[in-house]
Amino acid sequence: MTVTPNARADVPGAARPIANLDVAQLRAAIQEEYALVATEPERGFHFHTGRPLARLLGYEDAWLEGIPEASVASLAGTGNPFAMGALRPGERVVDVGCGAGLDSLIAARMVGPQGAVVGVDMTPQMLDRARRSADEAGVDNVEFRHGVAEALPVPDAWADVVISNGVLNLFPDKLAGLGEMARVLKPGGRLQIGDILVEKSVGDGAKRNIDLWKG
Amino acid sequence: MDFEITWRADVFSGAPQASNAAKFGTVGINFRARKPSHEGEWHRALASLRCEVSDPASQKGD
Repeated sequence: MTVTPNARADVPGAARPIANLDVAQLRAAIQEEYALVATEPERGFHFHTGRPLARLLGYEDAWLEGIPEASVASLAGTGNPFAMGALRPGERVVDVGCGAGLDSLIAARMVGPQGAVVGVDMTPQMLDRARRSADEAGVDNVEFRHGVAEALPVPDAWADVVISNGVLNLFPDKLAGLGEMARVLKPGGRLQIGDILVEKSVGDGAKRNIDLWKG
Repeated sequence: MDFEITWRADVFSGAPQASNAAKFGTVGINFRARKPSHEGEWHRALASLRCEVSDPASQKGD
């Protein structure tokens, strides 16, 4: 028996779609921002990036060894999906909002040749970096697919683990995105996510302000 | 279910650009959760769900 995402719509306090938010404009703005992170990671953003950020977030040096610098430099996460436990050999992993592929490549090494990783991102420049890094590193148990979190290009109940890093806060419809994560997870599957928490409430006007979504 | 925030930290201070969203008290977190193994486990977890929020009026960010 499966647990359907729609069954969770009654959860008290669950995030709902934001009224009058221009989702197309929001996605375009996010793509524009993260295309720059992919192509000009040294540019300087409202968040840290690259190897200094990896240290701040507790990434172990051994995880980064052998991973092409292009993927390390474009890290723009806000947490560490692996801090909650290493992935096991043979597991299947989905990396939602994989960016330039650093977490997907780390995951691919953790799960080994019997495991598999699918990284999903909506920004073509990020996917291009991720694919080139996988080729350069000779990692062949990872595949990068274009898509959005609210419609993951992954079959039902495929994954043992869903990881994500600094991306959930960018979902226009968080319940739909979390529902997709639930859909692709096997029963008993795990979520290991780094993201953002806001300690003060955000008003409806602010939720529609795309500049605030970007930073 | 089994949702748990395992870590939180200021991950934005010192970034090259100032954040417009900083006034909302944004911090980086790690969290984990698990998909129920079956419907019964999910319904039991839902029935026992509790969420406590301190005075929202004192936390308004805008």
